[in-house]
Amino acid sequence: MVTTTSSIRTAKAVQTPEPEGPSGGARRGKRKFPVGVLFILPAFLFIFVFMLYPLVSSGYMSLTEYNFVYDDTPKFIGLDNYFAAFQDTQFMTALSNTFVFGIFYFVIVMVASLAIALLLFQKVRFNSFYRSAIFVPIVVPLSLAALVFLWILQPNYGLLNYFLGDVLGLHFLTQPWLSNGTTAMGSIIVLSAWASIGFVTILFLAGLQGISPDTLEAAEMDGARGLKKIFFIVLPSLRETYILTGTWTIIHALKVFVEPMVMTDGGPGTSTLVVYQQVYLTAFTYFDMGYASAMGYILGLIILILVVLNFFIGRIRAGKDA
Amino acid sequence: MVRASLFSRVWMNVVLVVLAILFLAPLIYILFNSFKPAGEIFQVPQSILPKEWTFENYLAATSKGFIDYFKNSVVITVGGVVLTVLLSSLAGYGFAKLPFKGTNFVLLVIVATLTVPLVIFLVPMFLMENEFGLLDTNLGLILPNVAVELPFAILIMRASFMAIPKEIEESATMDGAGVFRRWWTVMLPMARNGMVLVVIMASYAIWGEYTMAKALTMDPSAMPLSVGLTLLKGEVWQYGVLAAVIVLAMLPPIIIFIIFQKHIVSGVAQGAVKG
Repeated sequence: MVTTTSSIRTAKAVQTPEPEGPSGGARRGKRKFPVGVLFILPAFLFIFVFMLYPLVSSGYMSLTEYNFVYDDTPKFIGLDNYFAAFQDTQFMTALSNTFVFGIFYFVIVMVASLAIALLLFQKVRFNSFYRSAIFVPIVVPLSLAALVFLWILQPNYGLLNYFLGDVLGLHFLTQPWLSNGTTAMGSIIVLSAWASIGFVTILFLAGLQGISPDTLEAAEMDGARGLKKIFFIVLPSLRETYILTGTWTIIHALKVFVEPMVMTDGGPGTSTLVVYQQVYLTAFTYFDMGYASAMGYILGLIILILVVLNFFIGRIRAGKDA
Repeated sequence: MVRASLFSRVWMNVVLVVLAILFLAPLIYILFNSFKPAGEIFQVPQSILPKEWTFENYLAATSKGFIDYFKNSVVITVGGVVLTVLLSSLAGYGFAKLPFKGTNFVLLVIVATLTVPLVIFLVPMFLMENEFGLLDTNLGLILPNVAVELPFAILIMRASFMAIPKEIEESATMDGAGVFRRWWTVMLPMARNGMVLVVIMASYAIWGEYTMAKALTMDPSAMPLSVGLTLLKGEVWQYGVLAAVIVLAMLPPIIIFIIFQKHIVSGVAQGAVKG
């Protein structure tokens, strides 16, 4: 025993100077099998089976005609599903609804989160209470929050109409919120913003904390105070944070699903139908797996393009100033 | 910190109080409604506080259907979180301390999956689970949930392992400990903070997961709370009971949030800065 241990020690001592640091068994073994593989493999298998394989499989399926109920096997039809999607009025409606939702959601979440982060960054009393109140929606299951909002918006005994009518006396404002396309879309945007602002605020706060105190002090020496300081010193220092929050918000804007699914079922009519929901319905109500995959891929590509665009716009701006 | 004048400080407090009320209102509303007797819920005009407090809704919440939803949510969340923590601590250590040729590429592929919308995976997932008889089972939801949570969990664990100084592991190597023992006895305890963060984030995500559960379960007895409760939205007579179940379903994540708030906020912020 003693001899074995000491020989290992010598071997180790000789190899210590290598730059990668210890890699254990690989060094001691006769062959150089990378032990790292064993550590990564189990997790990779999960990701492969449930994400990478499905990604490829659904890419192939998007080129086929495959109804899960009627067809035995997928039939290859090339890009027909993609052409069909752009002539499908329902899909185009869903696409334009998604963009309308996305634009309002993006602007509201980005502006509100930045403003709230700036407020919470100040030394105000009860700061930690305000933080808790604003962050807590992050952890509430979204589908259940949607149920609560459904109730709040209920025309007869919901909180919102009660508040507008009986408390504020603005009876002309009370209405059946989810029976009208515009207010239904507005309701979905408000719920999504309620659920997301806390998280994006945390990201902005982290960005604000990253600004060096020297920059802020130097600005004050130059006489920059209050709003002037915020606009000319603080906001321009958040470039990296914009890339991060922008990416997150774009992805979430285009992936909207739970809110319309639970609150409106896409209605009234198709006024709140979104792409994600249309893909879901095509796959799991009509079982048209090929067409659903194609629409899913179109959504994925749109997200990818916007994320890359957001990244480069952020980088170019940052580069110009540097 | 930015200093502000007294006047604007008063305004800031006013704005923050209004914001706090807006963000908490839905949660307080459902809480009070869960204590109202059935008749009072439909009363017009409404009252915010229950006029007569009752626990009958909470008693009714223990009926068979709801218990099934709770049981499924608990099993799926616990199973999913345990697997996520275990696999991400293994992989995170591999990526941080045992790099091999192609490590960076594998990591890049894993991180790239974060931007792909889940809906693209759903059809093949459904067909696979149909093939293996996993539809309408708890296992059938645990497995894909773990896969979806893993990429972010791996990033967190990789960062916590990278933060451990090399000397500590080297001294363990001198004692002749094998690589797995070193991971288990020396490194894992030191990456505790990362593990706590993974546990918290994965449990929120899996407890509230809707999309996959909606696609991969059709039988109500196999559904978790997040999907099962939405089936009851049209059943008006149940409103008080539904409110009570929603409160019970929201409580576990909110309690965890209150206990670990500082940890979560700094963790998210750090993860975001590093990632």
